[in-house]
Amino acid sequence: MKEILKVKGLVRKFGDKTAVAGVDFSIQEGEFVGLLGPNGAGKTTTIRMLTGLLKPTEGEVFYYGKDFSRHAKEAKGFIGVVHQYSNLDRDLTAYENLYLHCILHGIPKEERNSRIEESLEFAGLAEHRDRQVKTFSGGMKRRLVIVRALLHEPKILFLDEPTVGLDPQIRRSLWDLIVKVNQLKSMAILLTTHYIEEAERLCQRVMIINRGKIISSGSPEELKKDLGRYVLEVFHEDHIEERFYNTREEALEELKKCTLSSRIREVTLEDVFLKLTGRRINV
Amino acid sequence: MFNGIKGVLYRELNVYKKRARKQILASSLSPLLFLIAFGWGFGDKVVAGGMPYITFLIPGLITMSSLNQSYGIAQEINITRFYFHLFDEYLIAPITYMEIVLGEVLYGMFKGLLSTLLIFVYAVLFKVQLILSPLFFAAIIIHTFLFASLGTTMAMIVRDHGSQATVNTFVITPMIFLCGTFFPVDKLPYLFKLIVYVLPLTYSTKVIRASLTGGDVNLLYFSLMILFAGLFFCTAYFAVKRVEA
Ligand SMILES: Nc1ncnc2c1ncn2[C@@H]1O[C@H](COP(=O)(O)OP(=O)(O)OP(=O)(O)O)[C@@H](O)[C@H]1O
Ligand SMILES: [Mg+2]
Repeated sequence: MKEILKVKGLVRKFGDKTAVAGVDFSIQEGEFVGLLGPNGAGKTTTIRMLTGLLKPTEGEVFYYGKDFSRHAKEAKGFIGVVHQYSNLDRDLTAYENLYLHCILHGIPKEERNSRIEESLEFAGLAEHRDRQVKTFSGGMKRRLVIVRALLHEPKILFLDEPTVGLDPQIRRSLWDLIVKVNQLKSMAILLTTHYIEEAERLCQRVMIINRGKIISSGSPEELKKDLGRYVLEVFHEDHIEERFYNTREEALEELKKCTLSSRIREVTLEDVFLKLTGRRINV
Repeated sequence: MFNGIKGVLYRELNVYKKRARKQILASSLSPLLFLIAFGWGFGDKVVAGGMPYITFLIPGLITMSSLNQSYGIAQEINITRFYFHLFDEYLIAPITYMEIVLGEVLYGMFKGLLSTLLIFVYAVLFKVQLILSPLFFAAIIIHTFLFASLGTTMAMIVRDHGSQATVNTFVITPMIFLCGTFFPVDKLPYLFKLIVYVLPLTYSTKVIRASLTGGDVNLLYFSLMILFAGLFFCTAYFAVKRVEA
């Protein structure tokens, strides 16, 4: 497996506010990685630096070992991005939006039409191809943005909360689509999402970022194991206490001692996430 | 190689196509009003710069109208950039900043030249004789290039809609009124002359008027146009390069 992306000591400041405070990681070809963190943790800022939309204050980014700042044009050829916000052209039709992307990415003229038709089909938008995007629903726009990012067959795809605001059916079908390109085309994916269970199901590796720093990284299994396999929830009057155990037996042992009502369940990635980033009530 | 230019133009022209009728109609009204008010209204007796006023006015309307159109891309770029984040799509594509600038500037020139054509139609309707020389074509191309570049620069450095309007009120509108579009600048008091001669529109108006009415084209003024055009293209390039979406 080849390393596609390497990030070293990435820092971004806005005035005296540090949004990203020194981030290091790398991504292998075909790897599916999640970047999880609470609001304002620095996920979007990181992705924007990795895709050339923001200049890092410090640090280096390498694609296939080449410095991104000096080989930006080459690297951008195999990067695909889905932003947190929609940046479709409202005045153009679905077809025209995709056509624009084809031109910008230098897709040969004779291939454009077939690729666009295929993408529209894929996104279930074939019958809306000639409608202006401003008449689309949120879900339709989201699907269009995603197939647009795939048009030039990138080697690495950045997805910044791609499923936010979508209903469960569409979310599922989008994930099917993304998993398919990840596996068939061995496209690497860096995903941010607030649906932790999605990340748990999809990602081979997750990185947890808080206040601009990656505070933990590993496969969902590893991270859960570090916390303990089982959790004992004790229901106090005003809050729920959580205690973590490596085996069910240990947890049961404790449960018996408990006077308050309580229950045992398996640890989820969300537990790990909340434990590491802290529960915040007053943000 | 020119994917960026093609892409930007594809986008801009497709959007333009959808609004063309409304846009052309809107931009054709104010020159017509000027022609009726000052051309017919003043009649043949008023003479400016040694010619009937309406003949003097038409070249001024050409520079004014094409400036408005070419520079006007500033506002369009501003909206697409801040409200619809379209620039992100350009910035993540494997194209250079130079291509983005060229694409936008060419679009501005296209709009400016279209409005020039419209004034020519008026010239025919109002029976004004104009001379079309290669020098005129060179001048109008440089003129629209210059103001499209200025428009692109402004769109990139101005933060939002409100500041855009401020620039228009304090720079663009006074420039349109003072720089010899409606009257010969040599009648202006000394102080105003000083102001007027640092503004590029003065030179393009003089050159374009001279070339259309058979006067002598001052080559110094022509060179100054080229200089301004080069300068604003550079500012446009650096403004786009500096931009963070
Ligand atoms: N252009 C900007 N100017 C000033 N501060 C900014 C800017 N962009 C982001 N920030 C700040 O940087 C921090 C990180 O923001 P970022 O958008 O990267 O967070 P995020 O992890 O994507 O959050 P979310 O989950 O809400 O999308 C935030 O505190 C934010 O306020
Ligand atoms: Mg974000």
